[in-house]
Amino acid sequence: MSWRADLLAVWAVVVRNALMASRNVFFFFELLFWPIVGVISIGLMTRFLGITPAQASFVLIGTIALSVVNVCQLEVAYAVLMDVWSKSIKHQFLAPIGIRHLTVGSWLVGMVRGGALFTLLAALAWWAFDFRVLAAGPRAVAVFLLGCFLNAWIVGVFVCALITLFGNRAEAFAWASVNLVLVLAGIYYPVSVLPAPAAAFARAIPLTYFLDAYRSHFGFASEFAAPIATGLALSVVYAVVAHLTFYASVQRARRTGLLLKMSE
Amino acid sequence: MPSPAPTLAIDAREVAKTFRSGWFRPRLTEALRGVTLQVPRGAIVGLLGPNGAGKTTLLSILATLLIPDRGTARVLGLDVVRDSMALRRRLNMASGRPSFLWSLRVSEIIAFYGRLYGLSGVALRVRVDKLIEQYELKPYRRVPYSELSTGLKQRVALAKSLVNDPELLFLDEPTLGLDPDVSVRVRAHIAALRRERGMTIVLTTHYMREAEELCDEVAFIKAGRILDAGTPEALKRRIGLGDVIALRLEPAPPAWLGEAPGVLRCATADGWTKCTVDDAEKRLPDLLRQLFAEGVTVRNVRVREPELEEVFVELAR
Repeated sequence: MSWRADLLAVWAVVVRNALMASRNVFFFFELLFWPIVGVISIGLMTRFLGITPAQASFVLIGTIALSVVNVCQLEVAYAVLMDVWSKSIKHQFLAPIGIRHLTVGSWLVGMVRGGALFTLLAALAWWAFDFRVLAAGPRAVAVFLLGCFLNAWIVGVFVCALITLFGNRAEAFAWASVNLVLVLAGIYYPVSVLPAPAAAFARAIPLTYFLDAYRSHFGFASEFAAPIATGLALSVVYAVVAHLTFYASVQRARRTGLLLKMSE
Repeated sequence: MPSPAPTLAIDAREVAKTFRSGWFRPRLTEALRGVTLQVPRGAIVGLLGPNGAGKTTLLSILATLLIPDRGTARVLGLDVVRDSMALRRRLNMASGRPSFLWSLRVSEIIAFYGRLYGLSGVALRVRVDKLIEQYELKPYRRVPYSELSTGLKQRVALAKSLVNDPELLFLDEPTLGLDPDVSVRVRAHIAALRRERGMTIVLTTHYMREAEELCDEVAFIKAGRILDAGTPEALKRRIGLGDVIALRLEPAPPAWLGEAPGVLRCATADGWTKCTVDDAEKRLPDLLRQLFAEGVTVRNVRVREPELEEVFVELAR
């Protein structure tokens, strides 16, 4: 496939996802309502508990990261979900399109949505709780967002794989998967407070390292030696595994006929 | 030197497919049991058969949506498994129960698939406009898919299936659920595709008239096997249904009529003697001559060719 055809296929998915997003009221809730409710309620809770500003920033960084990852991973999952809902998935896979076009195209839209959400939540956290999430500087923010988006891509692609493996029954993973990250990746607490087996799982999640690296700019001692490098290395490994899993599940769906069943 | 284009658009041999459902105690359904099918380039071929015969499964394998368990299938000279990506650029498909992203508008749906097939800029706009024009979708180009009627959805599906100007088009029950007048127009479009572009078309249908009107050849599938294939005329002849010559005779029909050359059987009811013959055009003059010679008055004569539907019923038994 030529570069031009590759880019066009990705662009087709970008345009499709953007159009669908602009016409669905639930997308508005995903992008604005729940994340804003999350930051305000968590911010108010930190006030009520009377925790230090540093501890409040620890929790708010986690809350914002979770919202960004969630919005972006849902968009990646929409690469398959929207076609499953509208029973048009066979037309998508009848066209000369690879799974990389689907996931990258959706991811690009997810990054735009995630970036917009991050900006909005950063402004809200500043205005409502005097927490300056951008204080770490543009380079740290960029690395942090890159980590969030990479994690979102990985989770989203795994969700796509599960949907093409199990059909509509796996839809719930799209919304549930991020909660697993919430428990294990140290969103509201340091990984060190987790029981040993759970902490081992946490160390296997790339987001843990990106959160750790970003929080170090707010006065928290890093728990890991080279968090960014480790996070990036883990992300690459998971991205490859996620891509291959999705590819294998599409091939399986072509063998089992699930691809057709999901279009009936 | 480039290799010459193969004369067969489809060359499928002993294609088999079994579906398994359930994870722990899988239930097996043999959808195809060794299907062999050859389709020449530029032909319109119909796959006929009862529900669950394996028509859609065969079509889906040939369109690279399904991977066969056994057998080989070459489409436009390419292997449907090994060369699936290259093949997808050159074929397309429309089904009788079309479904696309519900909130995309008609023009956006066609444009989305156009981009997937490598169109962009002016070329994409021109193609989308042309297809919208061709399928009389202009008043609906900005209407979301979910708000279209069944007939309009069908037209969108046909327009989408032509967005890459395919060499081979699969149509899965293209007139299912359409009003008769829309079905007639859709059939006219299908015939025009072959006439004007030389496109090879493989369609599945339940409507015998559709198959007779459109198809050069038909293949009957039942329980995952092709029972018979050929031109509609050849099939009728092969099944031995024959033409029916109905005669009103005075006095009663002579005894020899049932044993005359070319007569397969004769029966009299309600004043009509119906003789099934191998070829009405060939046998009728001889029969009339003999009847006149014996002084039998022929009050009325009707000749009816068997319909493909009768072949279908015969084969589906």
